[in-house]
Amino acid sequence: MQNTFPRGIHPAHNKSLTDKKNIEFMPPPATVYIPLSQHIGKSAKCIVNVGDRVTEGQKIGEADGFVGAPVFSSVSGVVKNIEMRPTVLASAEHVVIERDESISGVFRFEPLADKSREKLLERIKEAGIVGMGGAGFPTHVKLSPKEKIDTFIINAAECEPYITCDYRIMLEYTEPFLRGAMYMANAVGLNKVYIGIEDNKADAAALLTRIASEKHIDAEVKVLKSKYPQGAEKQLIYAMTGRKVPVGALPSRVGVIVDNVHTALSVCLAVEDGQPLYKRIMTVTGGAVNQPKNFWAAGGTTYGEAIAFCGGAKDGEDAPVKFISGGPMMGISVSDEEISCTKTTSQLLLMTDKEASISSPLPCINCSRCAAVCPMHLMPMYIDSYILAGDVRGAVKYGAKNCIECGCCAYTCPAKRPLVQSIRLAKKKSREAGL
Amino acid sequence: MKENLFVSASPHITNPNNSVRRIMADVLIALCPVVIAAVFYFGYGVIINIAVAVGACIGFELLYDAGIRGKFKKGCMKHASIKDGSAAVTGVILALNFPSFLKVDAWDLNFYNPNLAEPTVNDMYFSFDTVIMLVIAAFFAVVVVKMLFGGIGKNFVNPAAAGRVFAFIAVSLAAVQTVGLGLDASTGATWLSGDGSVTGGVLLNMFIGNTGSAAVGETCVIAILIGYVYLAARKVIDFKLPLVIAGSTFLFALLFDGLGGSLKASELLPNALAHVMSGGLLFGAVFMATDYVTCPNTDIGRVIFGAGIALITILIRVYGGYPEGMSFALLIMNIVTPLIDRYVYPKPFGYVREKKEKKKNENKEAGA
Repeated sequence: MQNTFPRGIHPAHNKSLTDKKNIEFMPPPATVYIPLSQHIGKSAKCIVNVGDRVTEGQKIGEADGFVGAPVFSSVSGVVKNIEMRPTVLASAEHVVIERDESISGVFRFEPLADKSREKLLERIKEAGIVGMGGAGFPTHVKLSPKEKIDTFIINAAECEPYITCDYRIMLEYTEPFLRGAMYMANAVGLNKVYIGIEDNKADAAALLTRIASEKHIDAEVKVLKSKYPQGAEKQLIYAMTGRKVPVGALPSRVGVIVDNVHTALSVCLAVEDGQPLYKRIMTVTGGAVNQPKNFWAAGGTTYGEAIAFCGGAKDGEDAPVKFISGGPMMGISVSDEEISCTKTTSQLLLMTDKEASISSPLPCINCSRCAAVCPMHLMPMYIDSYILAGDVRGAVKYGAKNCIECGCCAYTCPAKRPLVQSIRLAKKKSREAGL
Repeated sequence: MKENLFVSASPHITNPNNSVRRIMADVLIALCPVVIAAVFYFGYGVIINIAVAVGACIGFELLYDAGIRGKFKKGCMKHASIKDGSAAVTGVILALNFPSFLKVDAWDLNFYNPNLAEPTVNDMYFSFDTVIMLVIAAFFAVVVVKMLFGGIGKNFVNPAAAGRVFAFIAVSLAAVQTVGLGLDASTGATWLSGDGSVTGGVLLNMFIGNTGSAAVGETCVIAILIGYVYLAARKVIDFKLPLVIAGSTFLFALLFDGLGGSLKASELLPNALAHVMSGGLLFGAVFMATDYVTCPNTDIGRVIFGAGIALITILIRVYGGYPEGMSFALLIMNIVTPLIDRYVYPKPFGYVREKKEKKKNENKEAGA
């Protein structure tokens, strides 16, 4: 079996800013703004009213439908308002809770004694656990596929530059992480966990292997080549198992489920401590941050407060020019510090002028480097030129709909063309045209 | 902090070592050994030609940008396209595709050694004809082939090849006389326009460049190979394409010369080798066929493209009226390139053939 996928790129890792930093605890801010939509699927239904007193861990939003997840309060306090506020991509209803020291108590579920498949799934559902790598797909849905699953993989590749929160979890929460991964495997009826990790985190891989054998957890750690996008689902499955997920299908078609490191940790906490998902470990980093850190942040903490916890942004030459929620390859650049951290906010990145690429595009010289690095084997240069000429069919022919938006093409482009943006346009146009 | 933030679509980093200008700089560096060899064998005329061609290419592109695109308005030079360096590359390649001195019988404005009663091309001090032809070729290459079709990345054929062919057809090949100022046996006709026999030292002379050739850049195989290794190592060009062209030229030369039957079996191999090493074949394969814009974007497409160039070159050389066919072959395959890319394109990762799926489903339905 191979330990990588064909094509891809090698961006600078830049993980040294935070990879030696222990996970800290950020004290919850005085006021939290908790969005009711923190996952893919319908937004949760608000079940509290203005003026209600809530405790930490109390449910404030009820899952609406099967593809949905409940939302919990991250602090004990009083509901001040329920209002529309901006999120990373659009806007959503937020529950504004002001912290109140006089309210004590923390809500927890009963630790799960009966760890049968059904009970595990039920707990994952009621604890509001979603994929914490970024997409936020409800985990209980992912773990209940129609197809037969024979391989459960934890995606520990963490191939995006800068981000280190999964790496720190594997070092500091090694055992809970492994147990959580095993609970997830059990929930799909398996007793073995495969962990795919890039070779730039070899120490974590060795630690995981050692702890797994000491604690008799059947986890097989596979060290993969450090290459972007090693953590993309289809590429990871190919690197781990040699199976190719068919175009347009989910991984479960080839009998595989992939889930994220932090999700596994959250599952362990939910199963063993009964802790619902309302806080997470995130990395705040980048050349423009005074003290880059990994830390536990309460859900609903605003980006501005998270950055303030890391000493704020630098001034002068190192002042931030780009503020990104997520990694530099696939993250979303934002300009609003009032956006709240959610279950899926894994990283905030403040990039300096030197780090970020801000250049105006030149004409395509047809060098085909984008096609040479595309892990999905598409032809980005043609998708770009066809869609800009208004030819949706042409763009679809060269693979627009199969793009995973990893950004390899635009990273490599010598003319600095915004290829991913063009492909997103092509996807949108092709949906509109029904192609 | 908020005021100065830049918002754009992902990705937010790009490879700092990748830029159009850097690619063009790499090509210029790779051309250096060829230029040095050309000056060594053909003298100072080469330097004049390069200066003229580069100047003309840059000048025409500047004029086009400022005049036709910018209408000579203020700030029209702000987005001038010459900054990417592609005009300079076109200029150098164009000059290397010319003889060091040439004489156009129609006007003959060259400066000869005044002490000689009947000076020949070899007695030229300065060739004004070459300058005129280079400027015309540069105009055709840059303005007609490149800028009118939309500038860099939009030229439909290789500009330098088009410029060369245009100039050579315009003044007719017979009027162009080549000059070799190098060592013995270097003057006169090229191997291709000669009797076609391969004798002892010919291959070695070709390899080191000690042979006459229609264009100064074509002569020295070693210099071209050094450029090839540099470009391949820097990953500027696809290293496979020149190999495909050279390899299939070798095979087609064996085939068609063998079919002709005029050569003895023992002569076939050295003859095929001579085909590969002579004329503009290697120079074209390394520096011109690999032009990004006009070569296909898939491996299979490039094999078709390379084999097509080789086939047309050999057909022209063996059966055609011109002794040299590389430029024509290149132009023809350049025009075929969009067609190749239309039909040869990669299947996405995880692609499943539709027919199979349908059959499976049908079987399932039948079974159910």
